[in-house]
Amino acid sequence: MNETNETIDSATGTHSAAVDTHANDVIQPEHDVTRPGHWHRLRAGLSILFASRAAVVGLIIVLFWVSAAVLAPLLTPYTPLEQDWKAPNQGPSMAHPLGTDELGRDLWSRLIYGARVVLVILPISESVWLPGGTALWGVFVALVVGTTLGLVSGYFGGWLDEVVMRLLDAMMAVPIILLFLIIMAALGASAVNVVIAITIVGTPGIARLVRSLTLDIRTREYVRAAETRGENPFYIMFAEILPNARGPIIVDAMLRVGYAIFAMGTLGFLGLGLPPPSPDWGSMVAKGREFILEGSPWAALWPSVAIASLVVGLNLLADGLREESMRYQ
Amino acid sequence: MGKFIVRRLVLLLLTMLLVSMAVFLITEASPGNVARNVLGAFVTPEQEASFLAQLGLDKPVWQRYVHWLFGSDWKAARKIGLRLKRLVTEKGFVEWWAIDESGRPVRWKLQGDDLVAELRQPDGKTVRKIDNRRWESDPQGGWSFWGVDNANHAVRWQKGTDRKVWTFIMGSGWKQSSGGPEEYLPLKKGFIRGDPGESLRTGRPVGDSLYVRLRNSLVLAGIAFVIVMPLALFLGLLAGLKEGSIRDRVLSVGGMMFSVIPEFATGIFLILIVAVWWQLVPGATVFGEKAPWERPDMLILPVLTLTLIELGYVLRITRASMVEVMRSPYIRTAYLKGLPYWRIITKHAVRNALMAPITVIMLHVNWLMGGIVIVEVVFGYPGLGKYLLDSALYKDINALEAGAMILVIVAVGTQLVADIIYTIINPRIRYT
Repeated sequence: MNETNETIDSATGTHSAAVDTHANDVIQPEHDVTRPGHWHRLRAGLSILFASRAAVVGLIIVLFWVSAAVLAPLLTPYTPLEQDWKAPNQGPSMAHPLGTDELGRDLWSRLIYGARVVLVILPISESVWLPGGTALWGVFVALVVGTTLGLVSGYFGGWLDEVVMRLLDAMMAVPIILLFLIIMAALGASAVNVVIAITIVGTPGIARLVRSLTLDIRTREYVRAAETRGENPFYIMFAEILPNARGPIIVDAMLRVGYAIFAMGTLGFLGLGLPPPSPDWGSMVAKGREFILEGSPWAALWPSVAIASLVVGLNLLADGLREESMRYQ
Repeated sequence: MGKFIVRRLVLLLLTMLLVSMAVFLITEASPGNVARNVLGAFVTPEQEASFLAQLGLDKPVWQRYVHWLFGSDWKAARKIGLRLKRLVTEKGFVEWWAIDESGRPVRWKLQGDDLVAELRQPDGKTVRKIDNRRWESDPQGGWSFWGVDNANHAVRWQKGTDRKVWTFIMGSGWKQSSGGPEEYLPLKKGFIRGDPGESLRTGRPVGDSLYVRLRNSLVLAGIAFVIVMPLALFLGLLAGLKEGSIRDRVLSVGGMMFSVIPEFATGIFLILIVAVWWQLVPGATVFGEKAPWERPDMLILPVLTLTLIELGYVLRITRASMVEVMRSPYIRTAYLKGLPYWRIITKHAVRNALMAPITVIMLHVNWLMGGIVIVEVVFGYPGLGKYLLDSALYKDINALEAGAMILVIVAVGTQLVADIIYTIINPRIRYT
């Protein structure tokens, strides 16, 4: 147990920068320093954001969880694994602001370290982790795979398109919960496997979206021009088509982050998420559920509140942005 | 249209085939096996090997897949040289018997070096007799025999080996016996002949337990569906009537919240508020032998949870559709003609606005199934979802495959129904 604690502590110093970049990405996707008009674009983007009250509320909720996750070690004197056998299943108190779970672990600490796994770090093994949360990685990998498939099948068309699309259709026909169950039961519980599951489930939808965008953009003059210049097809796909398709892809990705968190919580609740004793919101609810009727609802309540508020915040933000940007157009 | 339906049905079968193969392969590729899951970690290697062999799990995966799909009785009948018959006894147990040359059902047993035939009489009793003439010499110079044992396997006995067998009996534990065979081939009819096999976890036929589970899940989903649809369509139309009004804001933000919060969180909130705080209804579902509708008070919370999730989704779709219709030129024209407001809404707007939601709802069944699995786990409801989850965790392949096939049929089937309904309500679309 000592080893794990040390890893988490030593991990904290470096990754706040990574999170900041990410937050910028979400608010201001077009942010690009090399272009002259980027100040103007940034201000236009922010004004879109602040024009919608829902988006602001969403942003505040999301920022709360992101900062709690980043600063987790500073916000609680406990580690998420520290057990206090004398105080199991307690309500909120001065020592434990949100109470303790059935093993006497501090719920506030488990909650914010749980947010960390979702939003800030992807634990690969006991001591190795990547910046960027498990849910974010899931969406990112799905985006890479789905975008590539969509571009290739939309741009080349023909039998390649037919094969890829029929396969994705078959995947979409399979109930998502079944995919989750089988994938996770086969791969076992770990953060990397959660990323794989989210990727497999997310890829078909992204690929279809990108394909339909590609079919449209392929007919534009600038693509024709690039083809006449004799550009490599992959250059055309990734440098000509993809940048012009980014708007809908980004909005879709934001909604997918919300869904990835939803999926991660659900997997955890079914016992298919992160292996115990990791602080995982879904599995905390699953464990705490057993003690509700015995009179200690806190262990189930707080992670439920956490995941509910985070997904609602993300959706408010995405919806608000989408509505306002559509109004501007 | 007929051609379209046939094509889609073929696609459904193809999807089922692909999914069933994928389930087999993925389950196979993953670590652990059903023996460890059922028997616990303290099982000896001999017990584990014996258990796996009796379930036919020592065979290669493609062979097990073929047996699962097409059955294994035809193969066993060829090895034994006699016809095989599946009987259902008065107590409801399934028994496999070989039919001997004179047309009587027979099974065998190995006692020492003697083959003992058990002949089934018409009244269900058995008569035993020594049946050593059936031994056949094998290429290795010994004597062996393919027959049917009394636990629904086709087995190969080898004379003089007297193998030890470990049998695990649910509820009473291990039993060691001698006279074991060299090789097992569990007898089943195969999925496409209507026999999903036995659960590896409980030893009971999958079909029986699946029927009860499916019924329970349908009760839950059906009640939720009946409540959600009219309510969500009505509220969605109401919200979309005037875009941006207070009513619209409240309904759409509320709908969004309920539809994006994970089912388990909604379930926990409802349990805490309704069952623990107000103490109105039980917070868990315990039916025992009873059917769900005999305890309606226990159904309230699961139905409510499902309702809230679905309500938000359908409401948002309906609202978006209504908003679009209200912006369209023909509604403006209707206004300018001087038609009364309610006439415009009921005659012109609502009918067109309902088109999109009805198909989207059908496509959403795929998601609804996920919701049902979670709700069943939250409330301990004995439905299909929980069965599927347990089967997946135990690697109970027969149960998992059967459940998976049902889910695929429901998912693909509802999409087909959605497409057909769409052509009926929207005559502009024709499928060929």
